[in-house]
Amino acid sequence: MLWTQRLWLRLQTLFRGGRATQQLHEEVQFHIDQQIEENVAAGMSPEKARQAAMRTFGNVSLIQEDARGTWGWIWLEQFAQDLRFGARSLRRSPGFATIAILTLALGIGANTAIFSVVNGVLLRPLPYPDADRLAIIWSGLGSVNRAVASTYELFEIRQRTKEFDQIGGIWVTNGTLPGEGDPEQVKVGVVTSNFLSILCPRPAIGRFFEPQDEAPNAPWALVLSHGAWVRRFGSDPSIVGKSVRYGDGSAVVIGVLPEDFRFYLPGGFPSNVDVFYSVPVNGSEPGGPGWLHLVGHLRPGSNFTRAQAEADTIATQIHDWDGNRNINGLRLSVYPLQADDVREVRGTLLLLFGGVGFVFLIACANVANLLLARSTKRLRETTLRAALGASRGRIIRQLLTENLLLAVMGATAALGVGWIALRAILAARPPSLLNFSRLTPDLTVLDFTFLVGLVASAFFGLAPLFAAGRVNLTQNLKEGGRSTGAARNRWPGLLVSAEVALGFVLLAGTGLLMRTFINILRIDPGFRAENVLSFQISTPKYEMLHELQHRIGGLAGVQSVSAVSQLPLVEAANWYANYWKEGASEEEQHSVMADHRSILPGYFNTIRATLLRGRDFTESDDAAHQHVAIIDDALAQELWPNEEAIGKKLNVSDSPKGAYQFERDWAVVVGIVKHIQCHSLTVMVRPQIYLPYQLAPRPVSIVIHTAGVVPDLAASARAEVAVLNKEMAVSQVVPLTEYLARARSQSRFASLLAASLAGIALLLACIGIYGVLSYSVAQRTGEIGVRMAIGAERSDILRMILGQGLTSAALGLIAGFFLSLVLMPLLAGLLFDVTAADPVNYVLICALVLTVSGLAAFLPARHAVGIDPIVALRHE
Amino acid sequence: MGKPSDLVQGTLDLLILKTISLEPKHGWAIAKRIQQISKEVLQVQQGSLYPALHRLEQKAWIKAKWAESETGRKAKFYSLTTAGRAQLEKEAANWSRLSAAIDLVVETS
Repeated sequence: MLWTQRLWLRLQTLFRGGRATQQLHEEVQFHIDQQIEENVAAGMSPEKARQAAMRTFGNVSLIQEDARGTWGWIWLEQFAQDLRFGARSLRRSPGFATIAILTLALGIGANTAIFSVVNGVLLRPLPYPDADRLAIIWSGLGSVNRAVASTYELFEIRQRTKEFDQIGGIWVTNGTLPGEGDPEQVKVGVVTSNFLSILCPRPAIGRFFEPQDEAPNAPWALVLSHGAWVRRFGSDPSIVGKSVRYGDGSAVVIGVLPEDFRFYLPGGFPSNVDVFYSVPVNGSEPGGPGWLHLVGHLRPGSNFTRAQAEADTIATQIHDWDGNRNINGLRLSVYPLQADDVREVRGTLLLLFGGVGFVFLIACANVANLLLARSTKRLRETTLRAALGASRGRIIRQLLTENLLLAVMGATAALGVGWIALRAILAARPPSLLNFSRLTPDLTVLDFTFLVGLVASAFFGLAPLFAAGRVNLTQNLKEGGRSTGAARNRWPGLLVSAEVALGFVLLAGTGLLMRTFINILRIDPGFRAENVLSFQISTPKYEMLHELQHRIGGLAGVQSVSAVSQLPLVEAANWYANYWKEGASEEEQHSVMADHRSILPGYFNTIRATLLRGRDFTESDDAAHQHVAIIDDALAQELWPNEEAIGKKLNVSDSPKGAYQFERDWAVVVGIVKHIQCHSLTVMVRPQIYLPYQLAPRPVSIVIHTAGVVPDLAASARAEVAVLNKEMAVSQVVPLTEYLARARSQSRFASLLAASLAGIALLLACIGIYGVLSYSVAQRTGEIGVRMAIGAERSDILRMILGQGLTSAALGLIAGFFLSLVLMPLLAGLLFDVTAADPVNYVLICALVLTVSGLAAFLPARHAVGIDPIVALRHE
Repeated sequence: MGKPSDLVQGTLDLLILKTISLEPKHGWAIAKRIQQISKEVLQVQQGSLYPALHRLEQKAWIKAKWAESETGRKAKFYSLTTAGRAQLEKEAANWSRLSAAIDLVVETS
């Protein structure tokens, strides 16, 4: 190939530059010597011959220079020259260089950080085989969406599907680690036999579940996480096939998951589950409860649209437990696992990504403005270079090189800024992002940064081009570089207007998100989280729980103690079922669902919930007496809209015979409590019903209300648990305020990030206004001097400069206002209790923008007022 | 005979390629040869010769080799590459077409 030969030749000359130059010299010398010889042969004296030869040859060094020029590296030499020159001239104006580099660093750095998050969360495929063909399948009934499915539903779907080749399910509950040693409470995954192999190609050792593990006489088989294997069994490679103690009995370990295996499943799913056992899937329990998170693997050639269409058909075919009737309104929803996993944060992230794009544009506009001002100031230098024979292309190339230098320095600084910003984002991220431990700046992000840097360089490289294009030799030399042309230049003002407009949009969005956050802070969740500590234990006997309540209640500083099967605002396995009042029609029996909670007496008092009417449970509300329930105002309103609910009979699902032995039962309503926000602060998902723990034993959380801070409370409480049962594991020792903070974190995250972006945008826009006006004042010093000399008041000058700045700002404000009207509705999904078109927001933002631009314009204006006309004119 | 004409722009490459097409030559010999063959009409300026040689070398049309000259000194000899031979044919054909066309114009009017 000719071009490869050429490249090779060039590389040779590049790397053997010194030798090539030497050879060129020898070659020329040879020529001259030949000429001398010829001249001598023609009869000249040696001295004369030499002179004549030199004369004929011409300018030796120029010819050598020209020959070297053909080697193709001349541009590189010039580039290096330009770089050196650029670096020198940047060093000469450190103020300009610092502001330009910082502006770029902020603009690009913010981009890098947000892009790292977007890349890690939205773009990078989940670390599963065939990640793009994995689907999550939700079941939905009535007003409930995204619910877990029953084994019966899974069985029926498997029977009918043609689009999925595998569908598996998992439910996560609490349990203890198998084996000997101190009890450690961990997450336990109850799975279908195929579930693990859908997400994980092969175990680290051993095997995954197979159908024979579910045979009636088969030993109980367990799969362990890598962590559990290391912690509990010291990475014993011969663990597979061994029998270990588990719960009250024994089980056989059949396999261990790989070390890097994590769950990335939607709905607050924990990323680490330590123990797995499998359950059979059959159609024997048509009325069974929903509990499985379903994950399906699409058959090759299928797609999500077809799978959803098939799921719709299957949903109408599945019969309910009555055997004959379609479950009214059963829906099956198929979503790509990847998209569903990040459903909650997707909107926030994309909006932030858009916002950070705005910041980047503002940063570019700012740097363009700075460069424009600078290139105008350097007009004389440029003109001189042109007059000395530099071609226009050469001048432009020199300016571009300088910009490139600036962009590369900015991009390098941006990497640092981006890294810090990413740390900050990780520290503030909401739980929905907690699974994403893989958020690190990676190669893609690095590429992205430099790409952005180059785009930036090209973008603001345009600015000096406009100026360089106008180089008019004589005119500029005559004006001596004090060109008044710049005053007539519209670009700086327009760029500032654009910055203000973009900044306005960001501020408007931030205003809305912050109002949302404030509204969320103001929400009454139905309980008071202050001074309440909580921890989880697995299902205790009532007698033990009662004794524990008594013992912890006796600790110093403890005001009250109680227990609940699931704390508010905690994502865990949630229990809910249908409830109906006495005399409800069959349809009504399927129309009302409520979350149910088992509690000890004193729960409402301990978390300061409001008992509206009736009474709390007592110790004698057990199976032997009339079964009772407490409901919240929402359920009372739904079932008995215009009647007193207390004393009415309600059909509940309880388990008086022991944990998980559910039966339908009639209970009398004895109390009404104010609704407690259980799933999210902003959305009421379901009403609640409370049953006495004696009637529905479950794993519970203990809640302890103290007077102020009690040192070592957690340790004392643990000790009390150990006294009663030293095998019972205590986990999740967390103050309730922490759960409340987590529930607010999504909104806090969005408003915090938006506020940071808007803050940067406002700062940059201010720098823009300040920079343009300062420059303009410097340019117009002479003019201002003349004006003052002929009688202009200081206030006139002040008004003139302020007016110039505020006109740009006002133009931007108007543009930003209309842009916001168009863009703000995009935020609607993230807002709470405030509308996208909220007028108060707009008024506040307008006031803020005008005040801040006024301040930014005031400094240069004051400087202009301080100009001494005599000095100014003498300078001219 | 008047003042030696300057080389027509762009024809130097063709002359160099043609001159070394038979055997490798060094720079001085190339200049001499062009002068002789053209009966002193074409004077190759050293100022153009060496940059042209280096340009052609960079284009891989000619290649250079250090060898002993007729006087026993080391000199840089240039010879055609395969690509250079093709280029020579192309440029020679172009030249014939161009000069024939110019002849036509000059002689007709």
